[in-house]
Amino acid sequence: MKNKSSGNKIVNPAIVASIVSIFLIMIGFNVVFAAIVSKAFGQNVISGSLSNPYFQIVFNAMMGFLVGWRVNQTRNFRGVLASSAAGAISGAIVAGFCLLLGIIYVNGGDFRSYLTALSPINVNFCLYGLPPIMGFLVTLVTFIIFAFLGGLLKLIPFGRFFSKPAGAVKSFFNKPSIQKTWHNKVFRIFLLILGLSALIILPRLWGSYWNYVIGTVGIYVLMGLGLNLIVGLSGQLVLGFAAFIAVGAYTAALLNAPEPHNLMLGSWIAFIVGIGLAAFAGALIGLPIMKLRGDYLAIVTLGFGEIMRISLKSDLLTSFTGGPRGIQDIKGPVIFGAAFNSDIDFMYLIIMAVAIAIFVTIRLQDSRVGRAWISMREDETVASASGVNPMKYKMLALVLGAAFAGLAGTIFATRNQFTGPEDHTLMVSINALAIVIVGGMGSIPGIILGAFALKGLPELLREFESYRMLAFGALLVAMMIWRPQGFWPAKRPALSKRVKPEDSPPPLPLDPNKEVGHD
Amino acid sequence: MQNERSQGSKGFWKKVGGYIRPFIGIAVIAWAIWRMYIVFFVDAKFGPETWLRLAFSGLVIGGMYSLVAIGYSLVYGILGMINFAHGEVMMVGSFAGYFLIQALKQIPVPSAVMPEQTFLNAYPWLSVILAFAVGMTTAAATGYFLEKIAYRPLRNAPRLVPLISAIGASIFLQNAVQLLFSPQLRDYTNPDLLARGTGFALKVNDNSVMLTYTGVLAFLISISLMGLLYYVVQRTRLGRSMRAISQDKKTSALMGVNVDNVISKTFIISGLLAGAAGVMWGLQMGLINYFMGFLPGIKAFTAAVLGGIGSIPGAMVGGLVLGVIESIAPAAFGVDFQLKDVIAFLILILIFLYRPTGLLGTTIKEEKL
Repeated sequence: MKNKSSGNKIVNPAIVASIVSIFLIMIGFNVVFAAIVSKAFGQNVISGSLSNPYFQIVFNAMMGFLVGWRVNQTRNFRGVLASSAAGAISGAIVAGFCLLLGIIYVNGGDFRSYLTALSPINVNFCLYGLPPIMGFLVTLVTFIIFAFLGGLLKLIPFGRFFSKPAGAVKSFFNKPSIQKTWHNKVFRIFLLILGLSALIILPRLWGSYWNYVIGTVGIYVLMGLGLNLIVGLSGQLVLGFAAFIAVGAYTAALLNAPEPHNLMLGSWIAFIVGIGLAAFAGALIGLPIMKLRGDYLAIVTLGFGEIMRISLKSDLLTSFTGGPRGIQDIKGPVIFGAAFNSDIDFMYLIIMAVAIAIFVTIRLQDSRVGRAWISMREDETVASASGVNPMKYKMLALVLGAAFAGLAGTIFATRNQFTGPEDHTLMVSINALAIVIVGGMGSIPGIILGAFALKGLPELLREFESYRMLAFGALLVAMMIWRPQGFWPAKRPALSKRVKPEDSPPPLPLDPNKEVGHD
Repeated sequence: MQNERSQGSKGFWKKVGGYIRPFIGIAVIAWAIWRMYIVFFVDAKFGPETWLRLAFSGLVIGGMYSLVAIGYSLVYGILGMINFAHGEVMMVGSFAGYFLIQALKQIPVPSAVMPEQTFLNAYPWLSVILAFAVGMTTAAATGYFLEKIAYRPLRNAPRLVPLISAIGASIFLQNAVQLLFSPQLRDYTNPDLLARGTGFALKVNDNSVMLTYTGVLAFLISISLMGLLYYVVQRTRLGRSMRAISQDKKTSALMGVNVDNVISKTFIISGLLAGAAGVMWGLQMGLINYFMGFLPGIKAFTAAVLGGIGSIPGAMVGGLVLGVIESIAPAAFGVDFQLKDVIAFLILILIFLYRPTGLLGTTIKEEKL
């Protein structure tokens, strides 16, 4: 750290890249990655078997390329040489690691009982199925070549290529006529109708699997919208959101399942009672703890969430809530004598619920309440000094957010026809939180985007299933470092009326001898 | 007009909160007294030996909670953030100790009497010391890199940002360990000398109470580590800079304290303690997996809050008290042992409600609460 010579700028990224590569090899990511690549090349791999080891080259090439790209900061030919050097270093480390593994495995060693991913087949895979020395050489050469290419690519001034078209697109959208059409009421209504009809038609075309996936995304959008009121708008970090979802889900289950009580009141009543009870739970939990702020509030609500889950699981409530087994056979809703039984019906229900939730959110955030929340989020002390009652608005946010959670929970339980304590773990709360954070706090399109990214993408990338949570954790950290405002941050609301320059009062004559900001 | 109305409603909500808080407190105390009356005087099914056994296991666990809680308190004192991933640092330390013990088990040290003797049983004390050393070092390295990667870039960010980053780091560490070493539960192998289920037998009312060797060892190590830490914080130059930074970061930087360096060292120290707790956890409980750090982490945080977060003696006392309460309370209140985690969380919530400064804490600044 002390001497920032050019050597450090090569060696450090190279070592970081090699550590990352070795870690990825040790968790078996390279094998899965190769399977995906081979799928893209049209060779479908049956799950459980391995793709051709030559696809390993894509993994090494990618890592080498990234090193080269990273190291060539100077964007000249010396930088390209530096890239190649860095590629050689990290390639030597990674290939050496593979060579070591290969030699150990050839001599009959086996780490599988400790490092699960390092089966003999996977080790063979790292070495392209070649003898260890040959594998070592191929890995090394791949790294060097692609680091060189990565460095070379940095020489191409992409910024100049892209700035022109990007500027053209920008100026196109800024044209007065386009702006006018965009703000035209008729055009807006036309767009709305187009969107609505797409939402009505699409569930019929998608088929069951897609309805299930998109429906799950929709439920997470609901949860995200609920948590958005609490975290995104009013700035209270709540980690026990799953508790409210659990209240909704269990209410729907207890009122409408044959197993513990056989009440069978019908889903619609269950939905309403579930929302009400969840809101009540929000008020009950909120009243005593709402004077806490920030991370203390987070931990206390986490405690509430865990208490809820452990109690539901324990013998104490087994006779009332079914204990660890959960509640099965929750009946679906019936509308005009027709029972909901397919995923399409539930998709419509979810779309309706999301639409209502979005409407409520928009109305809330544009109202006096929303402004009070935002002011509280920005600075609670200042907000309360300017007449916002923090207790009242925090409670309101928590109760409304809990109501949204209750709605999401009732729909979730009814659609799955099952709910159990393991549906309401801390991970659910953290998922909902991540949707709000990744999407952008307080931004509705951001939350929809976040729900698709965090719940929809993993469904599409089934092969990466086991790496989902790992990537998720890394994503949270990376987002906080590079883009804490989220992918689609909310626009700051235009709270004041726009004033024309000639209307503004003349600036006050300030006495330069008087100090104003003196404390 | 507008202002008056909001003033009035503020009074209303304060009143509601004001009524509810004492009500909950009285209800909880009344319930506790009622249950304890039933357990001690009506049922009276446990003799003193049971309480002694529970208290012993509580103290052993409490020692581990204390070690982890000190880490929370040190970091909170200096950075003002909850290091949510601290439980995972402990887990990593535990795994490192496990792998060292597994390696030592493979080394044959045959003797005339026992031809199949391994290093682990030939030199049990050396093995345990090595396990602690490796576990503590690995955990310390984890803590160091955790701070460097996930927290250092966020030094001046709003308060929620580092917390979310910490949650992300915690998820990452859990899943990295799960993917590397598989999600299965692993058996911690103790040297035969320290086998679980062996220990000093204590006679109480014709019943013997077993004080396990691992438990006694863990308790002694945790107490001595706490003493060592207290010495470091109170008597050394590093400790002085740590205390200075926790009082005022900017001024101490002006006085020539290398803030970044001290923060790194703080994470290393808290990692060392957590690693020791992790190895102890393995030796005492015998089973570890990637998720083992979560509950001890939350409970150690509870312990740190119980003692007064930011205060090191508070964390020590808080850990021991929480361990004993958690161990004794299910029996004392006559509830299911499954609910001992619920009791720990309830304690956390009750402290926040009635005494956010903790047992030994001083006042907390308004901005921190």
